[in-house]
Amino acid sequence: MLEQLIASVFKADFLFSVIRITAPILFAALAAVVAEKAGVVNIGLEGIMMITALFGFLFAYWTQSWIIGVLGAVVVGALLGLLMGFFSFKLKTDIILAGIAVNMLGGGGTIFLLNMFTGLKGNTGALVTSNLLIPTFKIPLISKIPILGEILSGHAILTYLAFLFVWLTWMLLYKTPLGLDIRAVGENPDAASSVGVSVLKIRYMAILVSGGLAGLGGAFMSLYYSQGWNSGMVAGRGFIALAAQAMGRGEPVGAMLSSLLFGLAQALRTKVSGLQGVSSYLVSLIPYLTTIVGLVLYVLSTRRKTRKHQIQPIEG
Amino acid sequence: MEQGEYVVQMKGISKVYPNGIAANKSVDFSVKRGEIHALIGENGAGKSTLMKILFGLEQPTEGAIIVNDEKVHLASPTDAIARGIGMVHQHFMLVPSLTVAENIVLGITPKKSGMFIDYKKAVELTQEYAQRFNLHVEPDARVIDINVGMKQKVEILKALVRGARVLILDEPTAVLTTQETVELFHELKNLKEQGFTIIFISHKLKEIKELTDRITIMRGGKSVGVYDTASITEQEISRKMVGRDVILTVEKDEAKPTEVVLSVRDLQYVNEWGKRVLDGVSFDVRSGEIVGIAGVEGNGQRELVDILFGLKLPEEGTATVGGENLIGRPQAAIRSLGVSYVPEDRMAFGIASSGSIEENVISDRYHHRRFNKGPFFKMKTLHEESDKLIFDYAVHCKSRKQEVGMLSGGNIQKVVVSREFSSDPILIIADQPTRGIDVGATEMIRKKLVELSREGAAVLLVSADLNEVMELSDSLIVLNSGKVVACLDDGNWDDIMMGEYMLGLKRQSDEEIGRSCHA
Amino acid sequence: MRNRRMVLFGIFRGAAAIFLALAVGAIFIFLSSKEPWKALQYLLIGPFITTGGSGIAFNTQNFYQILAAMIPTIFTGLAVCVMFAANEFNLAGEGCVLVGGFVGGLIGVYLNMNSGFHAVIAVLVAAIVTGLIMLIPSLLKVKLGASEMVTSLMLNFVMLYVVLHFLNFNFADRTKGATMTKAFQETAKIPPLVPGNSKLSWGFVVALVAVVIVSFFMYRTRWGYSIRMIGINKSFSLYSGMKVGSMIVLSQVIGGVLSGMGGSIEVLGRYNNYLWRDLPGYGWVGITVAILAKNNPLGVPFAAFFLAYLNKGCSLMSTHSDVPSEMIDIIQAAIFLFFAAEQFLAGTRQKLVIKTTHEELEQLEKARLAEGGSNNA
Repeated sequence: MLEQLIASVFKADFLFSVIRITAPILFAALAAVVAEKAGVVNIGLEGIMMITALFGFLFAYWTQSWIIGVLGAVVVGALLGLLMGFFSFKLKTDIILAGIAVNMLGGGGTIFLLNMFTGLKGNTGALVTSNLLIPTFKIPLISKIPILGEILSGHAILTYLAFLFVWLTWMLLYKTPLGLDIRAVGENPDAASSVGVSVLKIRYMAILVSGGLAGLGGAFMSLYYSQGWNSGMVAGRGFIALAAQAMGRGEPVGAMLSSLLFGLAQALRTKVSGLQGVSSYLVSLIPYLTTIVGLVLYVLSTRRKTRKHQIQPIEG
Repeated sequence: MEQGEYVVQMKGISKVYPNGIAANKSVDFSVKRGEIHALIGENGAGKSTLMKILFGLEQPTEGAIIVNDEKVHLASPTDAIARGIGMVHQHFMLVPSLTVAENIVLGITPKKSGMFIDYKKAVELTQEYAQRFNLHVEPDARVIDINVGMKQKVEILKALVRGARVLILDEPTAVLTTQETVELFHELKNLKEQGFTIIFISHKLKEIKELTDRITIMRGGKSVGVYDTASITEQEISRKMVGRDVILTVEKDEAKPTEVVLSVRDLQYVNEWGKRVLDGVSFDVRSGEIVGIAGVEGNGQRELVDILFGLKLPEEGTATVGGENLIGRPQAAIRSLGVSYVPEDRMAFGIASSGSIEENVISDRYHHRRFNKGPFFKMKTLHEESDKLIFDYAVHCKSRKQEVGMLSGGNIQKVVVSREFSSDPILIIADQPTRGIDVGATEMIRKKLVELSREGAAVLLVSADLNEVMELSDSLIVLNSGKVVACLDDGNWDDIMMGEYMLGLKRQSDEEIGRSCHA
Repeated sequence: MRNRRMVLFGIFRGAAAIFLALAVGAIFIFLSSKEPWKALQYLLIGPFITTGGSGIAFNTQNFYQILAAMIPTIFTGLAVCVMFAANEFNLAGEGCVLVGGFVGGLIGVYLNMNSGFHAVIAVLVAAIVTGLIMLIPSLLKVKLGASEMVTSLMLNFVMLYVVLHFLNFNFADRTKGATMTKAFQETAKIPPLVPGNSKLSWGFVVALVAVVIVSFFMYRTRWGYSIRMIGINKSFSLYSGMKVGSMIVLSQVIGGVLSGMGGSIEVLGRYNNYLWRDLPGYGWVGITVAILAKNNPLGVPFAAFFLAYLNKGCSLMSTHSDVPSEMIDIIQAAIFLFFAAEQFLAGTRQKLVIKTTHEELEQLEKARLAEGGSNNA
């Protein structure tokens, strides 16, 4: 049975599915990275993905264009970021609580909104037509390469975009003035404001970008992955993304590697649930346990670096 | 147009804070173009406030500022920077994970193609300025990896790159080693030759004598004079800086100290930037006496107190209370040895500000048997205890249920001392116990300290308030650069003597110190 | 005098927040419903009032159902009060409710006991298990500084899948269509408190007792005091000699115990088998409850009642009109945001403080003059 499993893992279509599964997690993980770099904790990613998945689909349906759907999801995501920012920066609601509130909104609120806009209850099965979905793309030349071609070609455009965004996020953070400001504000807001950088403005920018990225993740789910919207579809990816950010040391590439790990675990789980005698549930555990272990290792490694110079009161 | 002799003139500057404290009282301060001007004074003399006003971080209550012969209103650092004034803060404003070049161009980042950082240009800019002003930095090094000396150069470059012609340096040598200080002075003299004006805030007389052209001395919020550096001696500066305008007298019975309670030997402490902050400090405090630690802030007092309360680990040395080790022990253990601690920052460490007065005064004793019956508090006993403490220490409040943070500074401190003094301590460590509070509370707290010491407690008083430390102490220890430079136990001390010890002009011999400090 | 005015203001601010949240809900109702007023009626007064042929009557069954719905959320609300009091954001209450329900349920199925103590043992064991689980995020935070938020969130999923694994592979009743355990023995079930089908069990009484106990714990014992002071100012607590780390761990273990109790009592009081296949959501509601109760255990039942009432209103609204019951999430989220906003109406609060201070100073001045006068006489 184990041989069976290993054999199926090294098949091209398995690796293809890993990439496909990773993409939405990756968008959300990058969203977490950008926010965290500015010192803003965005735990509302789950809710943002749920809401943007819904609106992405609705916009696509109303305009019969998947492009508008994707763009709409991004805009809605950014607006949700703005909402969180407003309540947190201006009205001083704890940002963590604001995130939890957005998650609540994404739970039942989406079902409600779907009903309000379309009269449907809980899923959009009735509305899906293939022209609404994000088209897939065969990369010329590469698609002809055996195995590698099967793994890399034929993904949805947004899948490629997800991995492209790893590089784009890195570029934003490390090669643009905005990214410089974001990192400064996140690490030492006093230093930033002492040179005239508006800490408030930068935090808003960061959470807006974060929301927008999460919106891409949401659009991916409803306009490709699940082919429509249903109320259980995000299934914790927003939280996994937080873990991916933590395990990836807060960097885009690290977040990508962690997201791939989770993608792998999810893909394994689907494979395994078919096999006799192996619990898909235990396989599902892997990503979450890995995060906890990864986080512990990460903390241990940073601790070693600081000289045991003073007795630190327990840090908050 | 001919430029005036003075690049900066501050006239009649007063700054009164909402709580009534006057940090600056009608100060006149002028700096000539191209000079290095020292601004000197003890902590609390008002020099930091004056410079914050010049840099736009604070607004004066009264007075005018004239820059380059033009009257200006400096509402924020941006205004000051626009006028060519730059400030190098004592605590660096740098982002650790960014490179030197990135830190320098933060906020004025050069762009290429409108969207990207022109990093090459940032480096070029850095190198250009670095070379021009002989401030050697590594543009690509991350700030977290460079040493303190280079960090300071980066801060100076930050100001220069933004067009500063007047540089304010706030206690720049406080964090530098001797070698780094020498380098800094080279750089500053270089800048002066290139026509820059430097305002040098410090209290290190030797450095000021070496580097500066003129000195403005501040004391008690006022300027007590402007002098040419060459024509005033260190003794004279010290006298003007450290003179007391009002002599406080405290009624005190003669101390009859008995056995040693606190014994400190050969403490050595090096901070995270590699600077040796405590260099072989030894002294004893006996039951029944008040030992005061005098010294300009920043000479190791903070670190000493932290070590005694288990918050820092020294490299070497011992500290014991009644023979029991203090070093590295948890605060609960230290307290159970009979040690009480009045922290310098009462808001951060002395109280839980949204808690009630009662909740605050019992925080060191809430677990004692007399307050508990089984799992529960004996509420009545707790209430009685709080009410008694409030009464004994004259805390002005509505009731024990009142939120501590709502009280005035003096009353908050009374809450703190009511707790710390009432636990029957054998050693009281009091760090700036009367800073920033009203006269009534100050008097009460000082009286209590004397009372407790005469009843047998050993008191270690750390205070930057010269009055306080000179009048309350039975023995005086002066710290300078982490060393004990004087130990006086005969009550024969005066302002002039204290000033000279505190500012490093004079030093007792080791035998003298040993004799008086019982070490 | 100042205190009373500020307290009143606090109440006013809370009411304003709730009103705004309901207004947000109302806006959505008006946007989406063809009969908005009817929907609002069901939402706001439906749970209590039934209008029938005989006029307006108080709907007792609804009332009991609301009380029954409060049982798990009182426990999770209490759990959050204790954990958040130490200023630690441990979110694993969700998973602990699930595990508590599962463990309690299993004991209800497989442990053979003939007395009423069966239920007690089940709940106790469940609570101990979940309490121990909470050692993980708390110790990781205290010893290593690892974010309790991330570890607790991950732990929720770990708990979910572990339970699902054992449920599916070891304890599922294969005779049933859906995945669930075998039936509980009668002695394990928590008996109902009132007649009817409201599912209001004696668990409700236990919940209220828990409220009293937690309240005493937080305000009348040295551990609760220590936890609260640590939440207000950790350094102060450290300097005062408190064992900060141990107290933080204790607060989260207690949070686990309470959540586990809530889960097991709910499962054994409402159902005949254990059948939760997903995280039931009581943990998140518990956070809302704690926020509404301002982290005060005594306020928890009221907050839980209010939320359960709204929940019932929403479900009635969805049954009798065209507004989906999920409106409750929108309202909850809005309550959350407004209620927890410190700066909400801060301007008004500031003016109030200034006004009160002026008045007090005037009074003091008058008193001083009067005294001066009588001295001179």
